[in-house]
Amino acid sequence: MSEPLIRMERVSKSYGQVKALAEANLTVGESEIIGLLGDNGAGKSTLIKVLSGAVPLTSGEIFVRGRKVSFKSTSDAIAHGIETIYQDSALVTQLSIVRNLFLGREPLRRPRFLNQMDHAKMERVARDLLKRVGISKDIPPNTPIGSLSGGERQSVAIARAMYFESDLIILDEPTNNLGVAETKGVLSFIRSARDSGHSCIFIAHNIHHVFQVVDRIVVMRRGQVVADDIDPRHTSVDAVERVITGMSEEEEG
Amino acid sequence: MKNRFLQGLLAKAELGPLILLIVEIAVFASLNSDFISILNISNTLAFTVELGLIALAMTLLMTSGEFDLSVGSVFGFSPVLMWTLANSGATSLVVAFFVAILIAALIGLINGWFVTRLKIPSFLVTLGMLLVVRGLALFMTNGFPQRTWSASGAWLPRILAGEFYIGDFRVYASIFWFLGSAIVLGYVLTRTKIGNWIQASGGNPNAARARGVNVNRTKAGLFVLCSVMSALAGTISSIRTSAANPDSGTGYELEVIAMVVIGGTALTGGRGTIVGTVLGVLILRIMRNGIVFVGVPGLAYNIFIGAIILGMMALHSGLERRHNAGA
Repeated sequence: MSEPLIRMERVSKSYGQVKALAEANLTVGESEIIGLLGDNGAGKSTLIKVLSGAVPLTSGEIFVRGRKVSFKSTSDAIAHGIETIYQDSALVTQLSIVRNLFLGREPLRRPRFLNQMDHAKMERVARDLLKRVGISKDIPPNTPIGSLSGGERQSVAIARAMYFESDLIILDEPTNNLGVAETKGVLSFIRSARDSGHSCIFIAHNIHHVFQVVDRIVVMRRGQVVADDIDPRHTSVDAVERVITGMSEEEEG
Repeated sequence: MKNRFLQGLLAKAELGPLILLIVEIAVFASLNSDFISILNISNTLAFTVELGLIALAMTLLMTSGEFDLSVGSVFGFSPVLMWTLANSGATSLVVAFFVAILIAALIGLINGWFVTRLKIPSFLVTLGMLLVVRGLALFMTNGFPQRTWSASGAWLPRILAGEFYIGDFRVYASIFWFLGSAIVLGYVLTRTKIGNWIQASGGNPNAARARGVNVNRTKAGLFVLCSVMSALAGTISSIRTSAANPDSGTGYELEVIAMVVIGGTALTGGRGTIVGTVLGVLILRIMRNGIVFVGVPGLAYNIFIGAIILGMMALHSGLERRHNAGA
C-alpha cells in the first residue's frame, strides 16, 4: 500500500496545563477532501496550526508521503506543499492581486540580474486564475487586495495555493462571513482543486457546507480524533452532529 | 474610460504634492521675479539634491516599515572621518572616502541587526545610533571643523561634486547622482522582485515571511543603503562647500522624513513612491528658499513646513480611506 499524503501520529500539544491535543491521529490521502468538524475547543485549530507549522508540537510525529518532517515555521510547511488559508488569508492588503499571488516566487524577466518581475506573465496567469475562481468579471489583476471583499480575498488565497501546486490546502472557516454566491464560488473551487489533484482539509462551522463538498468527515472532541471515516453520502447531518457533541456514545453506553 | 483615467489620476498619491509644488513655484515667482533666476535655481539645487539622496534611500526604508533617525549624524560624521584620515596622511583621499562609506555601511548593518534580530523598534535603535555617531564625530575632532583642502584637481571630488556650466547655468555633478539614484531606486521599488519584497515587508511582514520572503535581510539591506547614501550625501556636501563640521547634518533626519511623507510614502510602511519623494524634496527646499525671497523672516520657515506636513497628511489619509473603501 502506498503512503498517504499526510500522516499525523499521536500528536499532542499542551499550553501549560491545558492539553489542546491529546495523541490525535489523522491521515489525508491524495486528491481527497476532508471535512474537519468539532465543537469549539475540540482541538481543530490546534491540529491545523501544528500541521501548518504555526505552532510546534509537544510530542508525536508528522509524515509527508511517508517521510518524517518537522516544521519550524509556516514557510517550512509551505515548502513541503502544505498551504493554510486563514480568515484574513495572509495577504498584503497594500499590494495588488498579482503582486500577492506571486509574492516570494516572482517570475523574472531576462536578463535576470536586473531583477525585473515579468509583469506580463504574472498578469496573464492571474487573469486565468481569477476566471477559474469566478471573480474575474470586473476586477483587474492590478486591484489592491485592500479593496476586495472577504470572499474575493479567500479566493485569491486559494488561487495562489492552487497555482503553486500545494499538495494540501487547509481552509480554516473559508465560508464564514461570505455571501451565498461567494460561498458557492469557494465550494466549487475546492472541488476543482481536488479534481486537479490537490487534497484539502476543510474546517467549517456550517456543517451543511462541509457535507456539500467533502469525501470524508473527521470529528474531533477534547483534543482527540473520535471518528475519522464518516462518509457524508451515507450519513445524515443529525448523526454527525451527535458524534460532534458526544451524544451517540452516551446513547450506546 | 476617460472618467476612469481621471479617477485613477485623482487617487494617485503624487497628485497632491505635484499641485502643491506648482502652486508654490507660481506664488514665489509672482511675488519676486528673481526667484526663478538662473543663479537662484542653481544655488537651490546644489543642496537640494544632497538631502534628496538621503530622502530617496529613506523612501525605500520607510516603505519596508522602518525609518532611520541616524542619517543626519552619518551625514556629518562621514566627511569628518574622510578628511581626518586624508589629513593625517594615513591614506589618500580616495581610500579615505571608501573607508568612510564602508564604516557607514557598518553603521547601517548594526541598525538593521538591532531592529530585525533584537526586535527593537527602529525609533529607539536609530535614536541611539544618532547619539553614538554624532558623539564619535565630536570626539574625533574635539568639536572643531576639520581642515579641508581644495581638492578640485583630483578625480574623485570632480566625480562627486565637480561643477560645470551649461551656458550661465552652474551645475554640480551631484545632480546626476541624485537623478541616477532616483531612476534606479524608482525602478527597484516598482518593477523588481526586491521592490515587491520591500512593500510586502512593510505591509504585512508575517504574510511576507510565510511566503518565504526574507523580511529581516530586506530591512537590514535598506538600513545599509540609507546609511551609505547619507555618507555619500555628507561627503559630496563637504567637498562642495570645502567644510567638514562635526555638527553638520543636525536635524536633517526629521527634514528628510518630512520630505518622504509629504511625497505620499506611508509612515507605517507598505506603500512608497520615489516620484512623490522627489516632489517632497523640492517642495520643502523651495519653500525654505522662497520664504527668504519674498521677505518672510527665515525664522518663520518651520511654521510653513509644519503646516505643509499637516495638510499633506490630511490629504493622504483621505485618499487612503477612499482607497480602502474601494472607491
